Formats: sequence, structure tokens, C-alpha cells
Amino acid sequence: MILHILLLIAVVLFSLLAILLRDLLKSAISLAVASIFLSIIFFMMNAPYIAVFEISVVAGLITVLFISTVALVKKEEEVKESKLVNYLFPVFFVLFIIIDIFVMKSLIGRLCVIKGPSPLGNFSQVFWKERTFDLIGQIGIIFAGVFAVIALFRKVNSDKDKDNHE
Amino acid sequence: MALTFILVPLVMASLLPLIGKISKRLLPDVLSNIVLLFLLLYTVFVGRQVVILNAGFQQLFWFGEKLNINLALDGFSVFMLLVISLVSFAVGLFSINYMERYGSKSIYYALLLIMIAGMNGLVLATDLFSIYLFLEVAAVASYALVAYGLKHDELEASFKYLMLSAVASAFILISITIIFGFTDSLSLRNIAYGFAVLNSKYVVGFCTALFIMGFGLKAAIVPFHAWLPDAHPSAPAPISAMLSGVLIKVSGIYAMTRIFLNVFGLTPAVSTVLLYLGVISILVGAIIAFNQNDMKRMLAYSSISQIGYVILGIGLGTPLGIIGGLFHLFNHAIFKALLFLNSGAVEMSTGTRALDKMGGLAKRMPITAATSAVASLSIAGVPPLNGFWSKLIIIIALVQAKQYGFATIAVLASVITLWYYLVIQRRAFFGKINDVFANIKDAPFWMSVSMIFLGLLCIAFGILFPMLIKSWVTPASDVLRLSFNYAINFFRF
Repeated sequence: MILHILLLIAVVLFSLLAILLRDLLKSAISLAVASIFLSIIFFMMNAPYIAVFEISVVAGLITVLFISTVALVKKEEEVKESKLVNYLFPVFFVLFIIIDIFVMKSLIGRLCVIKGPSPLGNFSQVFWKERTFDLIGQIGIIFAGVFAVIALFRKVNSDKDKDNHE
Repeated sequence: MALTFILVPLVMASLLPLIGKISKRLLPDVLSNIVLLFLLLYTVFVGRQVVILNAGFQQLFWFGEKLNINLALDGFSVFMLLVISLVSFAVGLFSINYMERYGSKSIYYALLLIMIAGMNGLVLATDLFSIYLFLEVAAVASYALVAYGLKHDELEASFKYLMLSAVASAFILISITIIFGFTDSLSLRNIAYGFAVLNSKYVVGFCTALFIMGFGLKAAIVPFHAWLPDAHPSAPAPISAMLSGVLIKVSGIYAMTRIFLNVFGLTPAVSTVLLYLGVISILVGAIIAFNQNDMKRMLAYSSISQIGYVILGIGLGTPLGIIGGLFHLFNHAIFKALLFLNSGAVEMSTGTRALDKMGGLAKRMPITAATSAVASLSIAGVPPLNGFWSKLIIIIALVQAKQYGFATIAVLASVITLWYYLVIQRRAFFGKINDVFANIKDAPFWMSVSMIFLGLLCIAFGILFPMLIKSWVTPASDVLRLSFNYAINFFRF
């Protein structure tokens, strides 16, 4: 239990750092660290698949994407951390913990919970058979994302020129 | 069969970028409009039959194996599908001429169709996580469409919309996880059953609050409306029509109504909160809209105000209130889409959206001016147009429920609405014409067709409203009236 709480605190801490840090590189790395802690929690809570996804996609792939983007965009000058972080960060952190404790204390243990039938089966069964409809939604999201990138990075002017030539 | 509503636009969307390589304009125009027409006809003829036969709950098979896709094509879903397909059909026609200047039409239509597929999926889903997922499908497509012009303002508006939507999604997702934790299920039936058994009103209350924040942000109810006045005016006009006419209703109002009324059951406390939110939206939207100079921004604020009426009707929870709210949702989709299309036509001809630069456009643009007058009078609630009847029903329902204060505010706000729409009419279409615009032309053919189509609908549903209410709105309100018993008894698969 104490280990869980410590891990959760670490997740919150690094997530807050990711928001509050001005330097994008540091911010991306703290996001990755937060998701590593999160994946440990997932693993301990008997959700190995989610843990693997979390660590490989969020901590790995997305961080690589973020960092490469930052490296492409970044100017050479140093980013100064805002002084505000020093004051704001502890305040946010304490506030969050207090709210969290209050909400959880009032929820956990006091309310009854329905326990469903036996576990749904293994990963592939749940993924392909239980949540078939969600797969269509995922395909939709992927298409939407791909087309969004194509639409947002198209060249407006050259397109018009081409049309004129045709 | 219900899957057609999702798969047809999705498949066409995936093919369009390839088709765009062959033909830049003609094929994307023709094919996507055929799909939109097909969806409209399919909703009107097949969907209607399904509701009459009560055959909308079906099990799908794939190579003889049961698929776990549970779609509900009931009265409420079919009603929303009608709203989506009517507006998207008009928007598709309008885009043929309007989107010429933006370039790469195939990608535009692909994103539009994905947005429609996402909304159709949301409306048909009977599973909380699927609702969330399809909400995101529609939302991701709409972020790209808002920024489609790629200018500074549009990108900024899209980013703001994206960020606030992410907050909304977070609230919705937290609520879904809490519900999953308590009921150990995501299907609406089991959740309704679980909460009926658990009798845990604090959990329901907490989740309701989160949903009001999440879906309220999507629907742009007043404390959560900050993104809308930027996002809706920045988008290309047909997309503004789609967002204001349909998207905020499907991803905000529909989802909220389905969950609150059919799963949790509307409690007096939630009803009161919704009534207050509705009234605040009506007033704030109307008052801010009053002072706008940008035509589309004024329309966007007016959307917030009109959404308030829908919330007021549905939040009241009485059968008449629900009918009024749903009818107003339908009407608002039509006339607000028409008004945004009008603003697009004006912007295309004059190159400006600022009302103080316009004037006397009625002489040069008769079709736009006429349809805009119909839509303005309709949204202001002038009889015998459709907006009058829906507002009347909502106000009668409020009086019947002895909510005289809310009824008074609804009537007063309707007067303010009439006022600022008359201001639009006077400043844009009447008076002396600006010399700069002496030689402008009216909207091209397909844009005119689309505007006339919607304008005629406004008049037709104003005159024939009993038929519309009887055959489309009442089945939807019947679904909602049964409260959580509906989900428990009918969502069996």
C-alpha cells in the first residue's frame, strides 16, 4: 500500500513538473518518467498489457517524437526557468494531494461496489471479441489523425498555382 | 444494418484521398455528396421503419461468429441521425462551390465524412466507452476542419478548442472510470441496472457533476463556453454550420441526455442544475451576441443562447419539456446551419464578415438575403416558422411545471434574440449599399440550392410541425420518458 502511494505521488510530481517546466526538453523527459512510474503501478495492479503499452508507447515512442520535434524546432539559446515554478509547484502539489485525499477518503470503503462475473478472458479475447465496436472507432481516430496531418501541412499557395496550371 | 451509418462514410473517407489523386474536384464532390444523400435517404426511409417495427436492437454476425457490436437504433438515435444527415447533406452541397478556394477538396470531404461517421457512431453506441471513443473521432476531425484555412486566427482557435476539449475528455474519462469501478461494466444497460441496485446517490452525483463539466464543455453551456466563439467563426462556413448545427448537439446534448435520462434517471437536483445552466446560457449568449460586429461571431454567441433553450426543455424533464427541447434542437440545427451558410455566402462575395462594412446586400444577393431573413425570423421565434413552435412548447412546458421565473426569462431572451437578428438583417442586407460592393454577385448555384433547401425546411416544418413531432420527435421523447427503465429493459442484446 505504501509503495503504491509513493508511486502515485511520484506520478503526480513528475506530471506537474511536465506542465510547469518551461524547457520543453526537460518537460518531455519528466512526462516520460511519470509514465514509467505509472506503468509500474499498472504492472503491480495486474494489468501487464497496459503496462507494456504505457512504457513502450508513452514513455518510449511519444517521448522520442517529442524530443525529436523539440530538437528540430529549438533555438540555440538557453531557456530560463520561470521563478514562478519554485512557488507554484509546491502549492499545486499540496493542493492536489489534499483534494485527492479528501475525495478518496470519502469514496473508498464507504460505498458498495458491484462485482462483475468472472474475468473476461485473456487480452486478445477482450480486444477482438468484447470490444469489437471500439476497433471501428480506433480506425476512425487513426484516419482522422492522418487526414488532419495531411490537411494541416498541405501547401495552400502551391496548390492554387497547380490548379491554375491545369 | 445500423453499422451502415458508420461504415459507409468511414469507407468513403478512406478512399477519398486516393480518388483525389485521380480527380481533384469532380469525383470528390460527386462521391461525397452521393454518400451524404444516401445517409439522408437511409435515415428517412430505413431508420423510420426500424423505429416503427421496434427492430433497432440487433446482433451482428461475422462468419457465423457473434460479434459484440451492440447498436441501438431507437427513436432517439434515429431522430439524432435525421438531424445529422439533414444538415450534413446541405453542408455537402454548399461545399461544392464554397471549398474551391481552400484547395485539396478530397481531404476536406474525407475529414467531413469522418466527423459524420464519428457522430453517427456516438448516437448509435450503447456502451459508455464507445460513446467516448466516437466523440473523440468526431472531435479530432473537427479540430483539423476548424484550422482548415491555416491562417493565424484559425490555428489559434483550433488550438484553444483542442485544449479545452482535452479538458472535457479528461472529465468524461474520469467519470467513466469511476462508473466502471462501481458497476464493473461499461454497457449502458448494466450501468443503469447497477446504479438502480446500488442506490448510491453520491457516486451518481459525483459522476453527474463530472459529466456536466465534460459534456457541458462539448455543448458550450455557459460557464464552459469559452472555446466556441473562437472556434466556430474561424472554421470555413460549412464547417461552422456543421459544428454549431450538429456537433455541439450530438457530442454535448445527446450524450448528456442519453446518460442522465436513460441511465442515471433525472433527479430533481440535476434537473434544477440543468435549468439554471440553461437560463444562464440563454441570457449570457444573447447579451454578448448583441454587441458583436463580426457576423459569424454573433451567430456563435447566439448558438450558446439557443443551446440554453434546448437544455431548459430537456432539463425540465416533463414529457412536454423533452418534446420542446428536442424539437428546438432539430430546428436550431436547421436554421443555425442556414445562417452560417448565409454568412459564408456573404463572406465569399464581399470578402468581409464585419457588419459595419456591409449594407444593402439584399439588392445584389437576393437569395442569400431571403433565406437569411427566413432563418433569422425563425430563430427569433416569429410565427408561423418552426422556431416559434419549439420555443412555444418549451415555454408552455415551463409554465405547466410552475417554473414561471424560467418561463419569463425564456420569453424575454426571445425578444432580445429577435432584436439582434433584426440588427443583422438591417446592417447587412438593408439600407444603402456600400459602393465597394456595387458589382458583387449572389452565391453560385450549389450554394444557393443548399440555402434554399434549408430555408424551405424552416418554412415547411413551421407549417407541418405536428407531423414532424408525431413521427420523429415523439418516438425520441418516448425513449427518454421511460428513464433508466428504458436502458434496463430495451438494451438487452
